[in-house]
Amino acid sequence: MSVRALVLAGYGLNCDYETAHALTLAGAEARRVHISDLTGTAQASPTETLDGYQILVFDGGFSWGDDHGAGVLLATRLRNHLGEQLRAFLARGGLVMGICNGFQALVNLGLLPMLDGRWERSVALMANECGNFQDRWVELLTEPASPCLFTRGLTRLDLPIRHGEGRFVAEATTLSVIESRGMVAVRYGDGKGKPARGRFPMNPNGSAGDIAGICDPTGRVFGLMPHPEGFYRLSQHPDYTLSREKARRRGGDLAPLAAGDGLTMFVNAVQAAKDAL
Amino acid sequence: MAERLEIGLRPELYDPAGRGLVAKARAYLGYGLERVRVLRVLTFDAGLSAEELERVRVEIFTNPVTEVSSFAPLAETVLPDFDLALWVGFRPGVRDNEGATALEAMSDVLGRSFGAGAAVYCSRLYLIKAPRLNTEQARELCAELLANPIVQSWRVIPRAEWDPAQGVGIVLPRVELKHVPTVLTLPVPGDLELNRLSAERNLFLNPADVPVIRAYFNDPAVRASRAAAGLAEPTDVELEYVSQARSDHCNHNTFNGRFFYKDMLSGESAEVDNLFKRCIKGPTEQLAAERGWVVSVLWDNAGVARLDEAHNYAITAETHNSPSNMEAYGGAITGIVGVYRDPMGTGLGSRLVAGLWGFCVGPRDYDGDLKPALHPRRLLDGIIEGVRDGGNKSGIPTALGLLNFDQRYLGKCLVFVGAVGVMPHTVAGAPSHLKKTSPGELIFMCGGRVGADGIHGVTASSAGYSENTPAGHVQIGDPYTQKKMHDFLLEARDRGLIPYITDNGGGGLSSSIGESCRYSPGAEVDLKKVPLKYDGLDPWQIWVSESQERMTVAVRPVDAEAFLRLADKHAVEATAIGRYTGDGKLKLTHGEKVCAYVDVEFLEKGFPQWEFEAHWLPPAARGLAEPVLAEAADLSGLLADLLDTPNLCSRAWINRQYDHEVQGTSLIKPFVGRHRDVPSEAAVMLPVLTGRAGLAMAQVLLTEYGDIDTYHMVAASVEEGFRRVVAVGGDPAQVGGVDNFCWPSIQYDPQGNPDGRYKAAQLVRACWALRDACLALGVPLLSGKDSMYVDGKLKGRHGLAQRVSGPPTMMFTATAPVPDLKRLQTLEPKLAGDLLYVLGQTRDELGGGSLYNLLGFTGANAPATEFEQSLKTCRALSAALDAGLAASACVVSRGGLGYALARMVMASGLGMELDLDRLPAPPGLTPLKKLFSESTGRLVVTVAPQCAAKFESLLEGVSWARMGRVKAGGRLLATAGGASVLDLKSGQMRKAFTRRFGGMI
Repeated sequence: MSVRALVLAGYGLNCDYETAHALTLAGAEARRVHISDLTGTAQASPTETLDGYQILVFDGGFSWGDDHGAGVLLATRLRNHLGEQLRAFLARGGLVMGICNGFQALVNLGLLPMLDGRWERSVALMANECGNFQDRWVELLTEPASPCLFTRGLTRLDLPIRHGEGRFVAEATTLSVIESRGMVAVRYGDGKGKPARGRFPMNPNGSAGDIAGICDPTGRVFGLMPHPEGFYRLSQHPDYTLSREKARRRGGDLAPLAAGDGLTMFVNAVQAAKDAL
Repeated sequence: MAERLEIGLRPELYDPAGRGLVAKARAYLGYGLERVRVLRVLTFDAGLSAEELERVRVEIFTNPVTEVSSFAPLAETVLPDFDLALWVGFRPGVRDNEGATALEAMSDVLGRSFGAGAAVYCSRLYLIKAPRLNTEQARELCAELLANPIVQSWRVIPRAEWDPAQGVGIVLPRVELKHVPTVLTLPVPGDLELNRLSAERNLFLNPADVPVIRAYFNDPAVRASRAAAGLAEPTDVELEYVSQARSDHCNHNTFNGRFFYKDMLSGESAEVDNLFKRCIKGPTEQLAAERGWVVSVLWDNAGVARLDEAHNYAITAETHNSPSNMEAYGGAITGIVGVYRDPMGTGLGSRLVAGLWGFCVGPRDYDGDLKPALHPRRLLDGIIEGVRDGGNKSGIPTALGLLNFDQRYLGKCLVFVGAVGVMPHTVAGAPSHLKKTSPGELIFMCGGRVGADGIHGVTASSAGYSENTPAGHVQIGDPYTQKKMHDFLLEARDRGLIPYITDNGGGGLSSSIGESCRYSPGAEVDLKKVPLKYDGLDPWQIWVSESQERMTVAVRPVDAEAFLRLADKHAVEATAIGRYTGDGKLKLTHGEKVCAYVDVEFLEKGFPQWEFEAHWLPPAARGLAEPVLAEAADLSGLLADLLDTPNLCSRAWINRQYDHEVQGTSLIKPFVGRHRDVPSEAAVMLPVLTGRAGLAMAQVLLTEYGDIDTYHMVAASVEEGFRRVVAVGGDPAQVGGVDNFCWPSIQYDPQGNPDGRYKAAQLVRACWALRDACLALGVPLLSGKDSMYVDGKLKGRHGLAQRVSGPPTMMFTATAPVPDLKRLQTLEPKLAGDLLYVLGQTRDELGGGSLYNLLGFTGANAPATEFEQSLKTCRALSAALDAGLAASACVVSRGGLGYALARMVMASGLGMELDLDRLPAPPGLTPLKKLFSESTGRLVVTVAPQCAAKFESLLEGVSWARMGRVKAGGRLLATAGGASVLDLKSGQMRKAFTRRFGGMI
């Protein structure tokens, strides 16, 4: 039985194609599903449910134009129309991944950090400290002790960030709980394998504790600002032609469409879903 | 009863927006602000109950972790010791995107709809602690940094006048036109009356067109058929329609004109009947016939060419100069969002995959006497932000761009925006690049609503900028609405629901329906059915409004229900406003009232061709000569100075704000190298994720060569575009081009435009070069646009106004498929020990170049392009990339070999050692000229030593030399005559390269 993954689409989301593509490459049967098909509209009833899916991805974009806070209106819509389904989906062991705008939506929905199973907004992703939208590649360091199922086997990787509101903030008590339970899944590195320690641009947004992504206590819900689908193949990396040339000199090559490190997160998700089937 | 909700960050949290204002106030105005906090203000005019208000406050508008909010003033909570409160909000009728989404979310949460007049207005309140800032200075802060009076209004409230209970009060920027829509009949008994009417109504009719227009309405047969429809004299709707359709913007009267060209030195003359036909259409049709990959050109909203065995790509580029010049942010966001509708409305519709930009502005640090509408620094900030929001929120990678400073752009800035889409060869069983309307099909308007905004945009851009330019045509684009529409239309296309689609851009419905009804032919439209933003618009306004984010789609009646269901799913408004007919008439009604009845083809025939005298003087006769330069003692210092010039230094901060990687298609980014800040030769994308073909895109702008000869400028631009796409792996046999001309007025006028005849000659020569270059290199022009009135009237000292004409400018965009991704290459050398080659001849051609520019000279020797040589060189490189022999390829362009080598060193961190004596060049060319000549057709290539023999075997017929080697250590060393003439470390170069803008974010 194949793993089915649902990727949200519509209302300004814009990473649905490549996210679904990465999931397909990772072995899932991925579908882009319009939010209206899940929630219905004023005139039409829903035509889709989360039943039958094992992975739900909140992909990147500018849902509702990011007006009134990034991810806020998407979270409001889903809370209103899909709350029960989401609870059931989580209860049966479904995996949820939120990327960039999707991460912002997850924290506004309260699916992250979901301390003690509570759906409440206890962390936030604020406007970048540098004051502007940034597209740049960053180093990510994974937390070895994290229960996160998506980062298994990864220690460090490069990924692009592309956001204006990615600064992770929480009250000190919340932050310490998140830290102590290993829920910080990925942090911004300094490019040399050590944490960025808040320095721009290695930490591109001023996130507390260099936090780039967190998971819930079970490790099945994961959100991050960087884009793993932005490095699903090798030729997305800015140093691709350099790495390829080095490989060629060694008598080899680097195929442009070979898997990039970001794909590992999707492969892990599919594997975890398979294990649970 | 309206209510005001204020929302702010918790006082203990850092406020980047506030900090940003503190920094800008200091940098731009020299004002010291101690602290700033920014509040978001939502004013609800929607009849909410107290319970509902509280619910939306908590559930939607307040983040409990980071924000506080209140229906009472928050000022004293977030900044108790503020000295000033500045409120900034939109003027009535200006698009308020946040207000619109607020209403949408409220409707969803509260589970109820709102009445037609319900609205939420979004504004900002800036609380400032600055004890020494007076009210006058605070007003300046508003006018210079926070607001633009064209779209926004503001209030400055000193603490002493602050009402703690009411705060800023309630401001409701409702549009209340209090006007009953009417249709006016406008009798025009003579040409004089029509000319006068044209002036009164800002129709900008060409006096030569006036008799033709009158003759049509006086034609007895026309009068008879109009009488049957209930009309006699022309209506305001009809005359406005004529004005739109005949404008230079829509009709390209200049390019279709007749030019009487004369070389004033030799006396030789030539008559060019129609620049477009001779220099653009003719060569492109010839090339298209020869090459199977040109799919659809010269008629649709964008040109279409083959990408691979299953997909085509559509490309176009245009400018949005006049609106950006007045309201930089609004103009630029409207520009980028607007150009995206062109590929969307090409063929049966394409999916957007890339955006391109180019900005030409006055010097960022301009401190002269002229007073442009916006200072170049502020203008540039606004333009950058507009393209940022428009591009990012559209979810389309902003692949590439360029920025050029020139004082002559103070009169009017240039904002180029380009768009690329992809479409499968066939959709729902039909060829995707073809479309037509048929009688009986419904006319749907989709997307945004119509307001008074954008009226007379087309005609205003067909005129220079002056104080009387109507400001009403400035708009603020809404990428969110358009993104939903894009997704909707693609799904409708794939289901075969769309036989015809086009965008509503310049001219609005008058243009989209006026053009689309030529196929059926004929249409009937009820303007009363067009959804409006507010009541009170006259039918003519509805017909010509350029309100954004709208597409016109033909739908078969049988498909209408499915089309509407899809629109609902995507939350897009779609309304049937009429139908296509087959009677050859365009009939407009407003309810029952007939307001226009004209023949569909009326605007296509009988109008006189525009005529221009074009007087050319060759550079030497204009007194241009080469400067007399001794050899420089310190070429290293000169190169470092060049790296610091505004037009060559790093501008990575701009593209950093632009998402160039969304859609997962990125292959070569706008910047390359270790620090990711060296501009790449071209961008490459993988437009179809499951495909195998890349698409390379490059842009070229070589304005200064035109100061010597626009022929050389355009020839060099096309050749460079060609070379750039080949350098990254593009196929030289499949290069397409897009030309964007931006020219000052060329109509001679002894008082108003005394050098108009020379500017006209510059245009003729530019077009000749375009024709020659395209034919020689085999580059069909897939698309192109012209913007002909790049002039401004600026006030200077003592109130003395002067005309400032922009320099003749052509932006050239080149595209080429990368048939196999193994061919991809970037400019930075990869490994120490590699051999360094220069391909192509270097000649004494520094005229109009970056070095002369730095030194304050124009010179006379602009680079003259040898197309055949360039073609050989590019084909050789292409073969080398195919065989994996070239480890890097860098284009020599502005700044010459010196700048190319510097980019290679800065990007790689590796060094280079080379001997300038080996350079293919005529004898006696000095090291200075070898380093800074801008001769076209050249490339620097690095090659692994073991590949050298194979690589050299490909270079038959190419000028080339093995110049030296790539070294470890990041040092650029050049010798000449056995002596060192250049010695610069990568760090020194980077310092110069990033000094000016490197710290900007």
